[in-house]
Amino acid sequence: MHVTTSVREPLITGGKTLKDVTHDISRQVEARPSLGWLLAFLFSVGVLLLGSIALAATLWEGIGMWGLNKTVGWAWDITNFVWWVGIGHAGTLISAVLLLFRQKWRMAINRAAEAMTIFAVICAAMFPVIHMGRPWLGAYWALPLPNTFGSLWVNFNSPLLWDVFAISTYFAVSLVFWYIGLIPDFATIRDRATGIRRSIYGALSFGWDGAAKTWSRYESVALILAGLATPLVLSVHTIVSFDFATSVIPGWHTTIFPPYFVAGAIFSGFAMVLTLMIVTRKVFQLEDYITIGHIELMNIVIIITGSIVGIAYITEFFMAWYSGVAAEQYAFMNRMFGPYWWAYWSMMTCNVISPQLFWFKKIRTSIVATFLLSLVVNIGMWFERFVIIVTSLHRDYLPSSWAMFYPTISDVGVYLFTFGLFFTLFFLFAKFFPVINMAEIKSIVKSSSEKVTK
Amino acid sequence: MTENKKTYWKGLEQLTNDPEFVKNAEREFPEYLPINGGNEEGSTRRDFLKLMGFSLAAASLAACEAPIRKAIPYVNKPVDINPSIPNYYASTFSSGGDYASIVVKTREGRPIKIDGNELSPINKGGISAIVEASVLSLYDKQRLAGPHINGTISDWATIDSEVKAKLAAAGPVKIVTNTVISPSTEKVLEQFAAAFGGAEVITYDPISNYGITKAAETSYGTAMLPTYNFEKAGVIVSFGADFLGTWISPIEFAKQYVQGRKISKEKPEMSRHFQFESNLSLTGANADYRTPIKPSQSGLAVLALYNALAKQAGAATVQGAAVEIANLDRAAKELWANKGKSIVVSGSNDPNVQVIINAINDLLENNGVTVDFSKPSYSRKGDDSKMNQFVAELKAGRIGGVVFYNCNPVYDFAKGAEIAEGIAKAKVSVATNSTMDETASLVQYVAPDHHYLESWNDFYPRKGEYSLSQPAISPLFNSRQAQDTFLVWAGATTNYYDFLQQNWNTTIFAAQTETSNFQEFWDRSLFNGVYSIPSVSAPVTSISDVASAASAVAKSYKPDNASTELAMYVKIGIGNGTFANNPWLQEMSDPISKATWDNYLTVSQKWANENGLRMNEGETKKAKLTVGAKSIMVPILVQPGQADGTVGLALGYGRNKAGRVADGVGVNAYELADSDKGFTNFDVIEGVSIEITSDSYKIAQTQTHQTYMGREFVIQEATLGEYKEDAFAGRYQPKIYKEGEFVKPSKISLWKGHQYSQHHWGLAIDMNSCIGCGACTIACQVENNVSVVGKQEVLNRREMAWIRIDRYYSSPVEATSNKELEIAADNPEVTFQPMMCQHCNNAPCETVCPVAATTHSSEGLNQMTYNRCIGTRYCANNCPYKVRRFNWFKYHDNKDFAAVNVAQNDDMGKMVLNPDVTVRARGVIEKCSMCVQRIQGGKLTAKREGRKIKDGEINVACASACPTTAIVFGDMNDTNSKITQLLKIKEDTISAVKEVNEERAYHVLEEINVSPNVWYFTKIRNKDKSEA
Amino acid sequence: MERDKNFILGVYDDEDVLLDAIAKVRGSGVKIHEVYSPFPVHGIDEVLGYKRSKLPIAAFLFGLLGTTLALTMQYYMMKIDWPMIIGGKDHASLPAFVPVTFELTVLLAAFGMVGVFMIASNLKPWGQPRIFDIRITDDKHVMAIDLALNSSLGESILSDVLKSSGASEVNFKSFE
Repeated sequence: MHVTTSVREPLITGGKTLKDVTHDISRQVEARPSLGWLLAFLFSVGVLLLGSIALAATLWEGIGMWGLNKTVGWAWDITNFVWWVGIGHAGTLISAVLLLFRQKWRMAINRAAEAMTIFAVICAAMFPVIHMGRPWLGAYWALPLPNTFGSLWVNFNSPLLWDVFAISTYFAVSLVFWYIGLIPDFATIRDRATGIRRSIYGALSFGWDGAAKTWSRYESVALILAGLATPLVLSVHTIVSFDFATSVIPGWHTTIFPPYFVAGAIFSGFAMVLTLMIVTRKVFQLEDYITIGHIELMNIVIIITGSIVGIAYITEFFMAWYSGVAAEQYAFMNRMFGPYWWAYWSMMTCNVISPQLFWFKKIRTSIVATFLLSLVVNIGMWFERFVIIVTSLHRDYLPSSWAMFYPTISDVGVYLFTFGLFFTLFFLFAKFFPVINMAEIKSIVKSSSEKVTK
Repeated sequence: MTENKKTYWKGLEQLTNDPEFVKNAEREFPEYLPINGGNEEGSTRRDFLKLMGFSLAAASLAACEAPIRKAIPYVNKPVDINPSIPNYYASTFSSGGDYASIVVKTREGRPIKIDGNELSPINKGGISAIVEASVLSLYDKQRLAGPHINGTISDWATIDSEVKAKLAAAGPVKIVTNTVISPSTEKVLEQFAAAFGGAEVITYDPISNYGITKAAETSYGTAMLPTYNFEKAGVIVSFGADFLGTWISPIEFAKQYVQGRKISKEKPEMSRHFQFESNLSLTGANADYRTPIKPSQSGLAVLALYNALAKQAGAATVQGAAVEIANLDRAAKELWANKGKSIVVSGSNDPNVQVIINAINDLLENNGVTVDFSKPSYSRKGDDSKMNQFVAELKAGRIGGVVFYNCNPVYDFAKGAEIAEGIAKAKVSVATNSTMDETASLVQYVAPDHHYLESWNDFYPRKGEYSLSQPAISPLFNSRQAQDTFLVWAGATTNYYDFLQQNWNTTIFAAQTETSNFQEFWDRSLFNGVYSIPSVSAPVTSISDVASAASAVAKSYKPDNASTELAMYVKIGIGNGTFANNPWLQEMSDPISKATWDNYLTVSQKWANENGLRMNEGETKKAKLTVGAKSIMVPILVQPGQADGTVGLALGYGRNKAGRVADGVGVNAYELADSDKGFTNFDVIEGVSIEITSDSYKIAQTQTHQTYMGREFVIQEATLGEYKEDAFAGRYQPKIYKEGEFVKPSKISLWKGHQYSQHHWGLAIDMNSCIGCGACTIACQVENNVSVVGKQEVLNRREMAWIRIDRYYSSPVEATSNKELEIAADNPEVTFQPMMCQHCNNAPCETVCPVAATTHSSEGLNQMTYNRCIGTRYCANNCPYKVRRFNWFKYHDNKDFAAVNVAQNDDMGKMVLNPDVTVRARGVIEKCSMCVQRIQGGKLTAKREGRKIKDGEINVACASACPTTAIVFGDMNDTNSKITQLLKIKEDTISAVKEVNEERAYHVLEEINVSPNVWYFTKIRNKDKSEA
Repeated sequence: MERDKNFILGVYDDEDVLLDAIAKVRGSGVKIHEVYSPFPVHGIDEVLGYKRSKLPIAAFLFGLLGTTLALTMQYYMMKIDWPMIIGGKDHASLPAFVPVTFELTVLLAAFGMVGVFMIASNLKPWGQPRIFDIRITDDKHVMAIDLALNSSLGESILSDVLKSSGASEVNFKSFE
């Protein structure tokens, strides 16, 4: 009988059998919602409603409700947009890239990570729409649709239009990738269920029969989707960074942006995955599937990407100095010592310094430390985008137009709204969908669960 | 203005000017016309046109609902009115002594725009912000709807009979007025005075120049104002006279001044300008050498200059405490070197100082050349001493009847409070003011006058120079021209129009020899708006010695005054406060402080540092300003260039009965002036104290960063000496490395670019000619229906101005670090840079718009398509010049903005909108269109007439308003156009990127190669070395 | 006997056992109808003798379609239908077309391929699969053998073969 001898830490602990896997993961889908879940869910719905007041005010009165002005035309809106898109990178990256590299440890987390991706992208996609002066028109005028104006099309030179394509493609492909993965697990739940639930999950499972032929097709689909999704993930933030890189504004016009944005995105994405996973594994007792090993591996990714981002920051400054362009040099000095110095230094501390703590095994294997640092990283990444957008705009070429940006209550409210939306969706997912990919886990139960390796 | 000339000749002046026609007009329409306003004469043509224009405007704006019901098609179309075709009428703006000959543009019978009249020998087509904006005051709903008796509306019959009867019985009658420069009106007043027992006419001016007239009396025998000529002056010395901004006749002076400042390789010479003043004035900002002095020193400074010159001339010097004033000796030396072609003026209202000034100009033989008393100017006739005497009598109740003729002394005279209490003591009090202002609200009878655009009148601003004003619209309210009122009360039977013609017939027509047909003479004068009788200028002989004046000066001024001094000044936007209720003027950012919607105490940087006051984004503290017994709370503004130990405060604010726009804006400084020395004195040198309070305050500034951070790619300047050596002096010419050589940025591009085969519109802006007066900003606002957003939104940095004038102070010479560069020098050099859309050929804004709402025309224009815009603001972010404006809210038909944006909110205000320009919706970007509506209009006219466009027949609003022709608009593909000449565009190319050979011409931000169609000319200062 | 109606099922607990079993069963000349598993078993297609899936080709073709569509669309809209002067660039500024082209390529490739997969594997929301054994989505592997196709061997022999191949149990299943 063929037996694997694993030198590395088991990916699944607690000597689980296939049946245990099915049971452990289907359990929380079938059980009635726990009190903890209910409270968390209602809280996020509350935040959602609170935020929607600010959103309504903005849509009714106009963008004037925000703190923007003639000089600073973007601030929290696009900061939040880039921030959410960044977060939305981990999921697909984990499933796709790690699948290509045959990293089995991904299996425990990719489902939730992809879900997070999709919800984050939904939140992100809101901002390009609501930040428009006339969203009721812009929502569809930004698409190359035939229209009553005859041959009036969109402008394919505009990075903002590239975003429209990049974000929607990314969203669509991630969604498909995610759903394909869900089908077999829905089938599992279907076959355990009865009555109405059975027919619902039956429909969701698309009539999955688990035949060897289907499985082999399924696998090649997964593989190719991964192959497609990987460049896609990298392209999305590259294109988002074009919004700035292709402009003429000092501090924006920077060729380093694409790689630097991608690294930053993975950085913040992994941080957000950690935040959510640490909560989920606790709430649904999935410690045996999402192990310390997983957390440690992700922390290592965070050290690497965090350091890349740090190097990018320094490179920017070097280039500003080396270019000899006065306006460029001023823009960067102004970041460090100008009126928004506090934003810059919060960014530096959160993104460059704090992740270095993960060099210590003690810290990177501690749940609490990881949880806190994952929050810190995302705060830092929000500031990064704020620094890039606002401090570059508020003092550009002509000193006569230099101005300050002060956020209003509506700015905050709209940001809150997206948080409410994100967590509402995530909690719904966590309750009604299998949070871990059962089929994949089962395929490694034998090879990498303790029982065998003992 | 050439297009005006052209459009005049449609035989319309026959119709507009022929009195018969005007009389019969009412019979031309059936009486069921829905005419409102209860005009006794019934329906006139102009009533009809008014409604027509109104309703057409309504139709053209989806905005206004109510008037649409009134829309009536032309039953039989008046010959001179074609829908969408503007008509132009020559007329005259006058308020007190402020004067400008203008051309009124009307559309469907509505005056919508005012331009300068190029035929006028005085303002020569120039115009000021106030004159531009005055068209909105026409539609001001605060104007009285009819005559009022004790505050309640009445009718003319009643008020006529009552006033006649009462005045006759009242006893001594006084008529109080600002300077009247209308000969016919003066005759009317005489007639009126005669009818009421020789009533006395008392003239005063809110901003008094009594000192000059009085001094002229002392020096030359007659009280008068000379004609100044700055054009002929090689050296200009001004002691606190803001002659470019607010002093006597600024438009005229600016035009002259700039003639001496324009510079080119062919004529590398310019006048040198010394300014000695306390507050940084517009004039001081343009001076080559500016010395901050205290008001208490001003007299002595003049004495010192006199002595210095007297020494040179070998004349007797006079006694006067020595005072150390920088640049004064140099000024004296250069004045002497330019004997006969120099000028010395003073803004002081102290007759003694002005006597010395006269003496100085006599010494310099400027008398009769640059300072011409043989051609008196009549624009200031105020007599402060008489006014004081009147106030005393009024207070003592010795005056029976008082008539205020379009003046508001309760607000704008130093002793306004005393007048206020005195009015009650008069048996009869009457005012002809057209609003219930501070004075009118206190009198028994208000007989509102027409707006000047509704009136007939004549003017005599200067010896030999006449001009006329004619109605451009029928009265909007039940008002009556004051002259008619006076005639009626005087029992005369003629109306003022006939009276006026009669007067011209007997005087001016009689004096001329060109024609023997009065009608012809009248029509031509009316058509031209002006008529001149040439006269030769000669020096007038002095009849007094300076000694007595000198000793008086020596007594009343001190070389080193310890106590703080207050110097009140006039802002170019608000002026003396008469037009304070005009939101365009309130939101016009002050050329120097860049502040809107306020007056404030200007203090020196030194004072601010000593008192620990820092201004941040307009955030400041209020101060308790105490002058003698009076004290007021006023915000502080730190003003580089302010003389140490002095503070400045603008007049014209603090109205409380002007109307909803102006009421409660700022504080009234008039009451701080003193007039006890026999003349109104706006300098207070004793008993001034300032204490900073804890309550903070925000001043709404459109520019909060003072310096240009030594950025050569923004401001390029040089001194005259450097320029003479090298025409490229001060030019920053970035070169970029490409394939082994350094090339111009324009030589590096991925694309071959486009060609503009027809026209290629562009602007050339001479920073040497731009004095920063801001007339262009208002002209643009009027022409393009730019919204007013109010103080709060300006504080939010959301003003909508399409053209702004960037004002940069120089940093201290030694400044190197960013922090140091951010601070302005204590007495900075000032540069003005008009900034509007640069219409870049490689426009960054166009590239980034996702929906192609902003694209480039085949004539080089950067076009904004409002109805395609979805408002991502990406274009605004990516605009290196930050000239794009976003509609953060709905500014039209929105009660939140009704109080400030009257031109887009109330039905009356909307009549001023330009039907050719869309009122922008919420959520779209807008910006300078280079007046594309005018370009299209001009092209259509040329097409209709089957010819090419003549250079100059199309002009953009800012350029046509500019009194110094600093902005030149034209077709860069037309080899003969003025702009092509200026820029020295050699070969006749149709490519987007033009080869410009003028050394001074540069692009702002050349290195990013956005390739603008707007060129700037380096600023050249006539000084030995640059102090920045 | 009618085809595709009556089956004999071998139930296996371990994927490695299953793989050997398949080889054995096929070796003994039995035609296997299909094998059903709760998760993808590696190497199973080889032992079952399935050919490599053609999905990659579908993906490639759809990708190609995407590229062509994207380029033609952008060229038509920017250069042919309504050329506008934008930022001084050429009407067809190809570098700017790259991002959209890439995105549409990926989009069509992904959706095209998944669509093909759905159709090929008959996956649809209302799909009703034939469940040979409810446990195949839980923890059991099931080898289904169509009796009609193996009528040469009797049921008893088949069940022996299955048992001997390591099946934990052998059941019969017939569909109406």
